[in-house]
Formats: sequence, structure tokens, C-alpha cells
Amino acid sequence: MAMIRRMPAEFGYVLPLLLLMLALFILPIALMLARSVTQPEWTIEHYQDLIETSVYLRVLGRTLQIALITTVACALLGYPLAYWMRDLSPQRQVLAVALVVLPFWISILVRTYAWIVVLGNAGVVNRVLLDLGLVGAPVSFLYNELGVVIGTTNVLLPFLVLPLFAAMVRIDDRLMQAAESLGASRATVFRRVFFPLSLPALAAGSILVFILTFGFFITPAILGGGRVPMVANALDLLINQFARWETAAALSTVLLVVTLACFAMSRWIGARGATS
Amino acid sequence: MTRFLLAASGVLVLAFLCLPALIVIPMSFSSANSLEFPPPGFSLRWYESFLGDPRWVAALKNSALIALVSSTIALLLGSLAAYGLVRGTFRGRALIEGVFIAPLVVPSVIIAVALYIFFARIGLLGSLPGLIIGHTVLGVPYVVLVMSVAIRSFDHRIEQVALSLGASTTTMFRRVLLPNMLPSVFAAWIFALIASFDEVIVTHFIAGPYDTVPKRMFNELVLQVNPTITAIATLLIALSVVAIGIVVLLLRRGGVKIQSLT
Repeated sequence: MAMIRRMPAEFGYVLPLLLLMLALFILPIALMLARSVTQPEWTIEHYQDLIETSVYLRVLGRTLQIALITTVACALLGYPLAYWMRDLSPQRQVLAVALVVLPFWISILVRTYAWIVVLGNAGVVNRVLLDLGLVGAPVSFLYNELGVVIGTTNVLLPFLVLPLFAAMVRIDDRLMQAAESLGASRATVFRRVFFPLSLPALAAGSILVFILTFGFFITPAILGGGRVPMVANALDLLINQFARWETAAALSTVLLVVTLACFAMSRWIGARGATS
Repeated sequence: MTRFLLAASGVLVLAFLCLPALIVIPMSFSSANSLEFPPPGFSLRWYESFLGDPRWVAALKNSALIALVSSTIALLLGSLAAYGLVRGTFRGRALIEGVFIAPLVVPSVIIAVALYIFFARIGLLGSLPGLIIGHTVLGVPYVVLVMSVAIRSFDHRIEQVALSLGASTTTMFRRVLLPNMLPSVFAAWIFALIASFDEVIVTHFIAGPYDTVPKRMFNELVLQVNPTITAIATLLIALSVVAIGIVVLLLRRGGVKIQSLT
């Protein structure tokens, strides 16, 4: 009885924010989705537009490709780092985690800009290469897909490393000891015991990186030099240059569906990993 | 040998992660006109060119105003909502919490497009209220996450004792809950403040004539490389370091473990 009477009061605390979010977050997104199929009347022409215009397909394909490369790069760089951090002493572990988290606190603009300083045509690396006479002209690290991938990998690596490290720490050392005492070599123990146990966290982290790359805007705009537009940059052009709101709404819907589907998948894999 | 290779790769990847921050700070004190590294000499000229440029100062004022107002709204409504979500027993809490956390999951560019079309219709495009609304929505998830953790770790019975001793709900909030929550309240506020102060994408779409520091930085970076940016970047890093220090200190005093937030 007391519980029932308390319900409205506590819902009352939630209500102001709920109304704000419904009116200024959910409603705008719903209207955008509606717009993609109802302008001027019920139609799927804006989606047909996306499929039939090669520009959009190319941008979607490039986004997918960059997202995949970034995901693989993050996994290849992040797995050894997390594995190494697992066996550090507690103090060093804290330091390593702090260094991994540090970039989160630095504006993504700053981190992106730094790559121009390091890898740009007049950057540190090119100066050294030129001074040593290893190359005749500056190497173009930036303003192409390589530059974008370097930038996205740098920004997204912590999203993979942190959950992966947390999952690796939870793996019981005795399992590996048991395998070793049963005669397995160190390599076999890693391959047959440790790696499978860390796989769900690796998969969940990789999907997270994949989702996040899909929505990237700043890195391709700056490190791609406008030559490597991804979905978000295409949306920028559609809205701010061409005022083609319906096409932008349709493209946003595609992006939203892909993101939410991948997010649901990563939650599902993460949950499975936690229970097994 | 394997151990050595592993340690080497670990250190290298850590260096890759932190390199951007390490390189920008010395550059900002450079006396050179270009992106020379290491800098040939020390000077504060880029800081002067930042603070001496009225356009940057105007952007800074806008950024500060929008961040202060939006994070305060997010803090007030978000804390109340977190309390209702943690202590309440009504149905649909998971769904409601999902709505509050969603701006963190949905790509910013989608929020940007949706708000652009919505604001264009209701006449808030390129307005200060529109910017504040957008930033508030983006700050809400941080407040709800931090405050939920804090309220959950506070013993419900203490609140009940205050109420049963005759305190009104308002008095209980003000005299019992708030003093205990204070460190987390500040931490949540700083999270929302930084989220707003760093925001580029939604601002880029809906700001119209208004400049904020990140929006101006973004526009400058797309066009050209200007060492003034290194000075701003360093100031932003300093701001982040101060903020992270305060947050860690506050959360520790509030008894919230950092790990429970990640």
C-alpha cells in the first residue's frame, strides 16, 4: 500500500526531465524520421534517392571501410596493451589506466590538431625524413584515408582498451595455472584458455569502436582535408550547403538504424560474456 | 623475449595515445611562425594573439555562458530525475533511463540534424536558447549517470529517519541528502560543463551566427593551420586537467569509485 502511494511522488521527480527530453530530443528525432518518409506525402523516394545516387553509396561504402579498418587497428593495438597492463603491478596499473583515460579529457579538436603538427607536410615526421634525406618530398600521411584512420584510431582506442582490460583482470589466474600444470605450453594456454575468455570483451569493444567511427565528423573533416567525406560530413553538406533536408533525414535514419542495431548486438555479446 | 616485445608494444601504444597532448603543449609556447618542432624559442605570442583577438574573446564568452546555463539546467533536472529513478518503484524506469542516456549513444550528428530541422520549424535556429537546449540535452546523460551512482550508494534509511522525525521532503533534501551528495553534485556539474564546453558537432549545425571556442577552432582548422590554436588547445588541456583533478577529488570524498562510472 505504502509502495503504491509513493509511486506518483517519485515519478514526479522524473517528470520534468522526461518532458524536456521527450519534447527536445525524442520529438525532433521522431519528426526527422517522419520527414524522411512523408515529404511531400507518404513516399520512399528519399531512400531510393540514397540508393540510386552513387555519391551516397560511395560515402556509405567509404564510411563502412574506414570503420572496419579502424576497428581492426584498435583491436590489434589495444589487445596487446590491455594484456600487458593486466600483469603490471597495481601502482603501474593505475598509472597506465590514467594514461589511457587522459585523452578522454582533452578536446577531440586538440587531439586531431596534434596530428597535423606531427604528420603534416611541414610536420615533425616529415622534417626528420627530409633532413635525413630518406625522402625527396614530404610524405602525405594526412588528407587521405590513412590520415583519417590514424585520427579515428587514436581517438577510439580507449573505448576498446578500458572494457577489455577490465574483462582481462577478471579472468581467474588459476585457470591458466591449471592448464599449464596439465602440460599445456604457454602459447597453448593463451590460445586455448586466455584468448577465448577475453573474446566477448574484445568483440563488444570492437563493435563499440565500429559504431562510434560510423558517426565521426570532426576527424574526417580535418585530417581528411575534405577529400575523405564520411556519412556525417555528407550530412553537413546536405543540411548546411544544399538544404536537402529530406535526403539528410533519410541518411540520418540509415545511420541511426545501423548504430542502434550494432549497439544492441554489443550489449548482447557483452551480456553473454558476463554470464559465461 | 615475448615479455619484452609485449612491454615494448604496450609502451608504444600508450605513447601513441598520449602523443597528441604531449606535442601540443610545447608548441603553444613556440616563437616560430610555423609548426616547427621542437620549438626554436619560447614566447607567449600565441596566447597574446588568442586573448587579443575580440572574435576569440567573444567566442569564449558565448562558450562560457552556454556551458554554465546548460550544465546547470541539466544538473537540476538530471539530479531530481536520478533520485526518482533510483528510489522510485514505478514501471518503465529502464525505458525512461534509456531515454536519458540515449544522447550518449546516438551519434551527435543525428542529434544535430534532428535539432536543425526541428529548430528551423519553431524558429530557434541560430539562437542562444536553441544552443542552450541542445547542450542541455547532451549534458543530461552525464548528470543522470553520476547522480544515480551517488544516490544508490546513499543509505535510504537515513532519508526515512529524517522524514519520520518530521522533516518535510524539501527539508530532507536540503539538510540531509544534498550535504551528503555535494561532491557528486559538483562532479556531475563539471562533467556536463566540460561536455558543453567541448561540443562541436551540434553547435556547428545549429549555432548560426553564434561562435563558440570549439566551433571557431573547428572552422579555423578546416581552412588553415594557425599556431594560435596550440595556445587555445593548451588552455583547454589545462582546464581539463584541473577539472579531472577536481572530479577525482570530489568523487573520492563522495565515496564514489571511479571504476563504477566506466
